[in-house]
Parts: sequence; C-alpha cells; structure tokens
Amino acid sequence: MEKEILEHGFNFNRRRFLSRLSLGLGSAALGSLMIPDLFGGNSTDEEGFTPGIPHFAPKAKRVIYLFQNGAPSQQELFDYKPKLREMLGQEIPPSVRGNQRLTGMTANQSSFPLVGSFVDFKQYGQSRAWVSDLFPYTAKIVDDLCIVKSMYTEAINHDPALTFLQTGSQQGNRPSMGAWLSYGLGNENKNLPNFTVLLSRGVGNGQGVYSKLWSNGFLDSIHQGVQFSKGEDPVLYLRDPEGMDRHARRDMLDNLAKLNDMAYQEFGDPEITAKVKQYEMAYRMQTAVPEVMDLSKEPDDIVKLYGPDCLVPGTYAANCLLARKLSENGVRFVQLYHQGWDQHGNLPFEIAKQAKDVDQASAALVTDLKQRGLLDETLVIWGGEFGRTSYTQGKLTADNYGRDHHPRCFTIWMAGGGIKPGMVYGETDELGYNIAQNPVHVHDFQATVLHQLGLNHEKLIFKHLGRRYRLTDVSGKVVRDIIA
Amino acid sequence: MTKKVKSLAEQALFASAIFILFLLLFESRIVVPAWVQSIGRMHPLFLHFPIVILLLAMAMELFRFNAANSTNEFYRDFLTNLLLVGLLSAGITVIMGLFLSKEDGYSGQVLQWHKWTGVLLFYLSCFIYWSRTKSWYKAPLAKSTAILTVFLLVGAGHYGAVLTHGDDFISGPIMKQTEAEPVALDQAMVYKDVIKPIFEQKCVSCHNPEKLKGQLSMATEEALLKGGKSGKLFKPGDPKASLLLQRIHLSEEDKKHMPPKGKTQLTTDEMTLLALWVKGRPDFNEKVIDLPPSDSLRQLASSRFKSADPVQEIYRFAAADEEAVQKLNNDYRTIAPLAKGSPALAVNLYNQSTYSAEKLQELSDIKSQIVSLNLNKLPVKDADLKTISQFENLQRLDLNFTDVTGQNLKELARLPHLKSLTLSGTKVTYAHLQNQIRDFKSLQTVALWETKLTPSEIQQLQKAHKNITFIAGFKDDGSNPLTLNPPEIKNPSMVFDQSLALALHHPIKGVQIRYTTDGTEPDSIHSPVFNNKTVLTDRTTIKAKAYKDGWYGSSVATFDFFKSAYKPDSIILLQPLNRVHQADGPKSFFDRKLGTFNANSPAWANNWTGVRNNDMVVVSEFKKPITASSVALRIMIEEATGIFPPATVEVWGGTSPDQMKLLSTVKPKMPAKGDEHSLTNVTCTFKPQTVACLKVVAKPCTLPEWHGGKGKPGLVLVDEMFIN
Repeated sequence: MEKEILEHGFNFNRRRFLSRLSLGLGSAALGSLMIPDLFGGNSTDEEGFTPGIPHFAPKAKRVIYLFQNGAPSQQELFDYKPKLREMLGQEIPPSVRGNQRLTGMTANQSSFPLVGSFVDFKQYGQSRAWVSDLFPYTAKIVDDLCIVKSMYTEAINHDPALTFLQTGSQQGNRPSMGAWLSYGLGNENKNLPNFTVLLSRGVGNGQGVYSKLWSNGFLDSIHQGVQFSKGEDPVLYLRDPEGMDRHARRDMLDNLAKLNDMAYQEFGDPEITAKVKQYEMAYRMQTAVPEVMDLSKEPDDIVKLYGPDCLVPGTYAANCLLARKLSENGVRFVQLYHQGWDQHGNLPFEIAKQAKDVDQASAALVTDLKQRGLLDETLVIWGGEFGRTSYTQGKLTADNYGRDHHPRCFTIWMAGGGIKPGMVYGETDELGYNIAQNPVHVHDFQATVLHQLGLNHEKLIFKHLGRRYRLTDVSGKVVRDIIA
Repeated sequence: MTKKVKSLAEQALFASAIFILFLLLFESRIVVPAWVQSIGRMHPLFLHFPIVILLLAMAMELFRFNAANSTNEFYRDFLTNLLLVGLLSAGITVIMGLFLSKEDGYSGQVLQWHKWTGVLLFYLSCFIYWSRTKSWYKAPLAKSTAILTVFLLVGAGHYGAVLTHGDDFISGPIMKQTEAEPVALDQAMVYKDVIKPIFEQKCVSCHNPEKLKGQLSMATEEALLKGGKSGKLFKPGDPKASLLLQRIHLSEEDKKHMPPKGKTQLTTDEMTLLALWVKGRPDFNEKVIDLPPSDSLRQLASSRFKSADPVQEIYRFAAADEEAVQKLNNDYRTIAPLAKGSPALAVNLYNQSTYSAEKLQELSDIKSQIVSLNLNKLPVKDADLKTISQFENLQRLDLNFTDVTGQNLKELARLPHLKSLTLSGTKVTYAHLQNQIRDFKSLQTVALWETKLTPSEIQQLQKAHKNITFIAGFKDDGSNPLTLNPPEIKNPSMVFDQSLALALHHPIKGVQIRYTTDGTEPDSIHSPVFNNKTVLTDRTTIKAKAYKDGWYGSSVATFDFFKSAYKPDSIILLQPLNRVHQADGPKSFFDRKLGTFNANSPAWANNWTGVRNNDMVVVSEFKKPITASSVALRIMIEEATGIFPPATVEVWGGTSPDQMKLLSTVKPKMPAKGDEHSLTNVTCTFKPQTVACLKVVAKPCTLPEWHGGKGKPGLVLVDEMFIN
C-alpha cells in the first residue's frame, strides 16, 4: 500500500495535475457530453481500448508482409494488358494520361510510347486469374490468393511511398504497421519480439531501406521492429560475452534485479520494473532466437518447396522460411523487404531475374502455412510501394525498355487471414494506367489489414502531442468485398 | 419604426396574405419557374426567423395585460413591431414553402400536415395582429390565442423537421437501434432478408411515400411493382432492360445514377444480388434455401448471412476469473481473451524445455473458456490428450510436430466444438485416423502434412469424410527436380602460408561435392568427392559442383587459393596511393583479405589499393632473413573503366634497404579492347635468394590508342601480395 502511494506520487507530476484539473472542471460542466454513449449503453470510446486486446475477435492473428521494395511492374507480373502490345510504340493518349505529375526522370521525356509486356500471360486455377510466365510457382497457388489490381497511393517516389504504406504518413516518424499491431494485439510468445524485420537484396536496381520503416514512432519502444540479420549474431547485442556462461548470466541478472528492486522500493519509478522485464526478455531470447534461426532441422520437402537458396542465410528464400518459423512461434508481424524491383531501364532482363528470386519462395510460404493449418490465421501480403507506367522510360528498342514510377495503380496479393481466396479484385483500364473499378487506397488497405486482426482502424488510437493518431490517419475504409 | 415604414410593412403583410390565399387556391395549376425554385429552396433557411420572433412575441403577448407592462410604452411599441416583423417573415416563409412543395420529391401526409399547420399559424397570427388593439380583445382571449399560436408553431416546425431529417432523427441516438436478429440461413427469405435490406439501406430514404423522389416509393412490394415517373422498375427475367439495374450501373458522374453521387453507393455484391434477383423473376415469397445450391444468388446471399460486419461468435459460457487467468499467464504460456469483453480464451504454449504435462493440467480452472490451444512443437504425449479433452469449448487445437502418435485421438472426439485439428509432422497413421475420425462431431479441417499417410491414403480419408477437409500439403514426388546451388567455402581466408585444409560446404544435407584442382570442370563420375581431407600446399584453383539425388547438379563454383609463405614484419609505401584507393594503407598488401568486383561492395573499397599518377613502391622488411623465389601481385583488370595492369613490375631484394639489387622485371600482358574484367596474378620469379628486404615497384601503363582515355596513365589496383 505504501508503495502504491509512492508510485502514485511519482505518476502525479505537475503536468498531469494541471491536465487532470482542467479535465475535472470541464467534465463537471459538460457532464455527459464527455461520454458520448452515456445514454446509449455499450461504451466504445477510445478509453475503452486496452492495449494488447483486440476490439473484436480477429480472423488473422499474425501477418507476414513480403515487401517488394522498388515497385515491381504490374504489367509484367499480374495486370495483363494485351492492348498495350497492340499499341506498341504509340503515344499514350492525353485523355488517359490526364494531368498526372511525373517524376523528374520522365517529366522531360519528349514522347511517351506505350509498351506491352515482353512476357506472356496465362490464366490459372479456378479463379482464372492471369499470371505472367515469370511467376510459374505463384501461378500454381492463385486459388489461395486474393489479387488486388486496383491499389493506388499518393506518393511518387520510393521513400515517401514506402513510408506511406508502412506508417500511413509520407513523412516518417510515425509507428510502423507492425508496431501498431504489436501495440494493439500484444505478445503471443513472450520470448520473441512482436515485430521482426528481415532484409534481402535481389540482382535488380535497388532502393534504400531504412530502419525508420520499422520504427515504433511515439509508441512504447517495445513495439519497435527488431531486425534479424544473417550471420552469427542474428540479433545484435544478444550474445553473452566471451567467458560468461548461462549460469553467470542468470546470477548477474538475479543480483541486478535485487538492486533494481531496492531502487524501486525507494523511488517507485515504474521505469525500473520495465527495465527489469526487458533484461528478462533478452535472457529468454538468448535461447529462443537460436532455436528459431536454426534451419538445419527442416525436412527435405521444405528445402524442395522453398528452393535450394532457403538454406543460404540472407537470401529472400531463407527469409521466407525464417518468416514462417517466426510466425509459427507467435511473432505478430514479420516484415520482409526484398530490394531490387526498380526497373527504370533494362526491364526485361532485370525483372526476369528478380521474379525468379522471389517466385518460388513466396508461393512456398503460402503452401507451407497451409499445410500446417496456419494459413487461416496468418495474413500474407505481397507487394511493392507503387506501380510502373504503361509507357517506356528512356528508349524503346526491339527487346528493351524501362518503366517509371506510377502511383495511380498497382497490384498486390494477399493470402490467408480471412481474406477471400481465389479472387481478383479491382480492374485497371485497358492501358493499365488508371483504375477502372474498385479502387483501394493505401489507407483502405491498412484499414482492411487491421480489421482482419480484430482492430477497428478508427479506434486504434494513440494520443501524442495533443493529437489522436491512427495508422490510417483520417481516412480509409475496410474493403469488405475481399473479406471471406 | 416610423409611421410610414410601419404602414408600408402592413400593406406588404396584407399583400402576402392575399398571395398565399391565391397560391393555395390555384396550387394545382401553378408551374414554378427555375429562379423561383431557388427562392423556394431558401425555405429551410428562412424559417428560423419567424420561429424565434413569433415565439418571443407570443411570450410578450401573454404578459401584455400585466399592470406594469400595460402602461409601459416601450413594451407596447416593441411588441407591436416585433409581431409585425415576425408576421412578415412568416409570410415569406410560407410563400417559399409553397414554392418548395411544388418540387419533385415532396408529398405525403407529413407534408400536408406541415403545410396546413404553417398556413393556419400565419393566418392566426395575422388575426392577432389586426384584432389585438380592439376593445373586445380581452386578456383571456389574448392569452389563449397566443398559446394556440405557440402550439401551431411547434407543430409546423416538428412536421417540417420530420420532412427533412426523417422520423426519428432526434430520438435516434438514444433509442439504440435494435440490431436485426441475425436470420438463420434456413429461415431467410430472398426478398425480405436479402433484397429488402439493400433497398432499406440505400434507396428508401429518398424513395418513400413521404419523399417520393421521381414519384417512386421502394418501401413496399406494391410500390416497387408500380414503379415511378420513368416507368416500371424492372422487367422480370431481364436485368439489362430493367430500369433499376440501368440506373445503378450508370457512371457515378451521371445525373441519373443511383444512389446519387455523395450518397452511400451499392457494393459490387449488392449490385450482383439485385441483378440476379431480377433475372430470376422477382418473387417476394421465396426462401433462400429453396433455390438450388448451385444458384449464384443463393451462394452470394448465404455468404451475407454469416459475414456481415465483424461477426462475433457468441459464446454462451461465462468468463473466467480474471485473477485466475493472470496467475496462469507466464513467460512460456500466454493466455489472452479473443477480443475485448469476450469470455473465450486463446492459449499458446512455447519452449520445449519448460513444457510438461502439468502445464496443461494447470489449465483446469479455465477449462470451459479455452477455445484455441496451440501446442506446436512441444513434446505433447498421447496421455495429454485426456487433459485436453476436458476443454469442452475448444474449437482449434494445434498439435503439429508433437509426440502424439494418434492412438487415442478419440479422446479429442469428446470435444463437441472442435473444428480444426493440426497433426502435421506427427506419427499419426492412416489406421488411427480411419478408426477414430468418424467420432468427431464438428471437425472441419485436419492438417496431415509430413505424416506417415501417403497422398492416396489422405485421398481415401477425404472420400470417406466429405465434410472434413484433409490437408496433405507439399510432398516432393521427384517429378520436378530443381537445380542445386553451388558449394560454398568455409575457410576464413583464401590465403595461407604453408598448408590449408580445404573446407568446402553445402547448406543442404546429403549433398555430394565433387571438385577438381587442375582447372577442368568437375563431373559426377570421375572427379573426386570432397571428404574434408583435402589439404592444399600450393596456389590452387578449386572447381566444385554439388550433386544430390532428385536434384540437378549445381553450376561450377571456382575458388582461388593463394600461398603466401612469408609475411613481412614491416611494410612501407615510398610513394602515395590514390586518395580514393587507400584501402587499409600498406597493411592491405598482406592482410589476407581479397577484393572483389563491384565498386558498391565494401569489399571493394576496403581491399583495393591503387595508384595512377605515380609508381606503387612497397618496401617489405623481415627481421629474420627469408629465402624467397617469387613475389606475386594480385591485380584487377577492367578495360572499360581504365583499370589496367602495371606496365612493368620490378622486384628488388637484399639484406638491407640500401643494398638491394633488381631481382626480376615482368611486363604483364595488356588487355584487348572489349575484354571481360578479370582478377589475375602478376608473378615475378627469380633465383632463390636470402633477403631481409624486398622492394616491389609497379609502374602504371599509358592507356593505348584504342582506349577512350588514350595517353593518360591506367589505374593500377592491387589487393594482396604473395611472397614465396
């Protein structure tokens, strides 16, 4: 009791006193205005939200986001446009192009000749979805996928677009989607971080990936993404120093906890207990992380499924396999970034290699989750930050062309986690330049992801610097048509 | 108010009274021109003036006969003027209202009530204005007319509000809208439970008997059949020719598109449902389940019954004691409610080393609340299933890669709600499942990947139990071999002094690595198999390939090993390196780290030392004299970027720095135009010598005539030197 009083004193600083005071006076005056549903029953205000407990029963418990960094060209992968081939070399009609801003890379181009995909498409599965020949493995699992062809974004360059998709704002410093989910859903496994990040790099033209993308922003730092890297120390600073064994570490932590407890008794600062908890989690991670990172026990079928690269640390395939292991172990959000999709030029050559890099492992991940009975509660997302233009960037030759950034439409796919399988949602026009049906804004996409995890995007709120923040900022609506 | 103004106002009032009478009498014959329409539409804006002014005036009128007020001159004048202004504004409002009522979309009883209360209010207050100064107009009469006026005012205002905002606008937020009880699929009617709700949500707010936009009401079945101004709503069996479908499919920008721009639009599903309904000849008394199961309308409609907004499964059991849950929660066992306010709990256990059967038994306090239990990869034994079978509300059980053998799966059959069971990676057999699976009551999916069951056995199970999905997963049948990736090298450095145990490695288990040392390509028959016993004693190029049954052999991996028997005790550069090709300074030549192509890689900048405008002069000293016979420089050649071999390399040696003589001079071969980039050694050999000091001088060449930078010196890049 004495301690609680002490703690209370600590928590009750001047600022809080003043803000409480004003609220107290205000609430006396405003009465029920402060509690909108006072007479309606069923209070659903933001104070009713408990971090770590979803608003409603979720369909998906975990997310694996296979981010294709650099913006893969939808025209060569999913969005089949035979008309573009017919109109090869013709100027894009001004009525189609409209007054869209262009990047500095093509704005000064004197002509904008259309170019179709160099690679053929076929229809697959019961959904008869079109998939290009660059994705033979993905083609086999189309009946597990919901392909959304009508995504659009507001940013036209990589970093803002990437930041926008991940944090809901182009400027950064906001919590990433994984951090929001960690805040909203809490830990499933207390021995691993809730939000992990895996990086890999393809052969194509790459774009930067910065740690601000997995930032916790203004949320508590326990929600920050933890990068797992290849090599001997997958998580930095986790290993005991040379000469210190597990017992010595345990003794040290126990004694340290005693000292900390003394300090806590004296000052009652809650930060002290938080710190002790973090030490303990790091201690448990010391055994949990090596277990997760160990790929040597994976059966041969798994190696065949993901492809031989899956045992080479740092490759996309290895990261997909690792993502499955982390997710299976209760990590809420596994974020992969695969660099190298920025085909401004030399597209046919680069994209083929880039596609080969990710095709088998991406499809394998979906199959693998399914065969463990985990796909229904794991949401897998595949996609980049925007699309690419229907016209060529640079010179159009018989066998070579490039495509510039295009925010007006791009394709992603989602699988599992209560999303309708075997579905193609949204359409672009016949030149693949504008959306013809069912546009999905980035905030709509984010709202849908949160919804699948049992979170109402309008109520997953954190108050910071006097403003209530959401992942979806002030817009976004759940795309109900793609929910199973 | 001056007399003149007042009499003008009174005349205007009289005129409007007459005009209103005229409008009322000839209502049916009036056609309202567009500009007057705009005036009419200001009715909802203007009406606030008469309400407020007349209310105030009537309040004052009530107390007019009080002793104090009746003699107060200001009170009297103010009230008269107030009443006059209120009346004028009321007149204008009534005129506007009458204009507005001529517009499309206003009709019905509420409008009639609003109109006539409004008109009555106006004339009653006119009557008050003109008779109130008469001598027979006494206090009781004045009070009762004032009160009557207020009642009319409230009445007219109320009906008007109902017209604009709908019936329960004010009471709406308080009267918690009773969520329609979810209709069970077998009860659901096609029209009442599928189609009508769409109309009610998206159409009826304008197309109702009160508002009748386009003279159409969609509130009742008869009205729907009747259609509106533009004709019948639908042609049964032909959605394309039906007005209803045409309107909703127009572009949103089109004026005739329904619902109008700005209102909540129909979803794709809803449009499809309407089309299917019209196509199937609209029938108001059909049940959803009367349609054939393959019918698209039935399929689409039935999905609506389960998937409306986040359907919370309703759990009929009580929540567990929060403290008990808290106590059971620990670092290796997470217990969390499915959602806020839900009594259902999800339990996840982790960490093999801390698991024991007690960890499950301890959960008996919350045995009724657990709906999902994850035990993947834990050493769960068959006997533990008995404990699990007490969790009466369990719906999902994950047992992948546990020690469960399947012998007594029937324990789990006692769980009446178990829907999903994962058994991948366990020892369950076909016989176990075949015998016991039929006892399960609500099972929907069973995951059986990586078990002893063959694909055909899983198919047989699937055939026998159609209501359960058996997940077989991926099993490599060898029909689609993949190419192995090439072997890797595990040696920390490619440079060694006397000998090196070769460490070739392949990440995939059971791979055979075959290699050659003579520069030929290894094959799967003749080349030696790598067995971890190969020791290199000299500069060697290893070519290796990986092989495994069921895979295509890998491509060739080439590894160059270099011998460097002596490492100098001190290294001095006599001339500077290029500013951007410093690497690690003079140390770089003997650090056993090799550079690579690709200037973006850290291995490039950290390892390549370079000169262009002066010679590279490296002096190495040994505390103990050595016997050397060769010095080799590892260089990069990349014609396209002007990286060339040195024109000459001289090696000087002696027992001390000032007693060195030239031991060897080599002129490396120059690349030809268009040559691929390469890494190569420039080796200077000489008679074995005992030296304590060696000096290497590499002179940059002059770029040849055919090169873009002709005449300028070529860049010399060296990453390592080898002294043998």
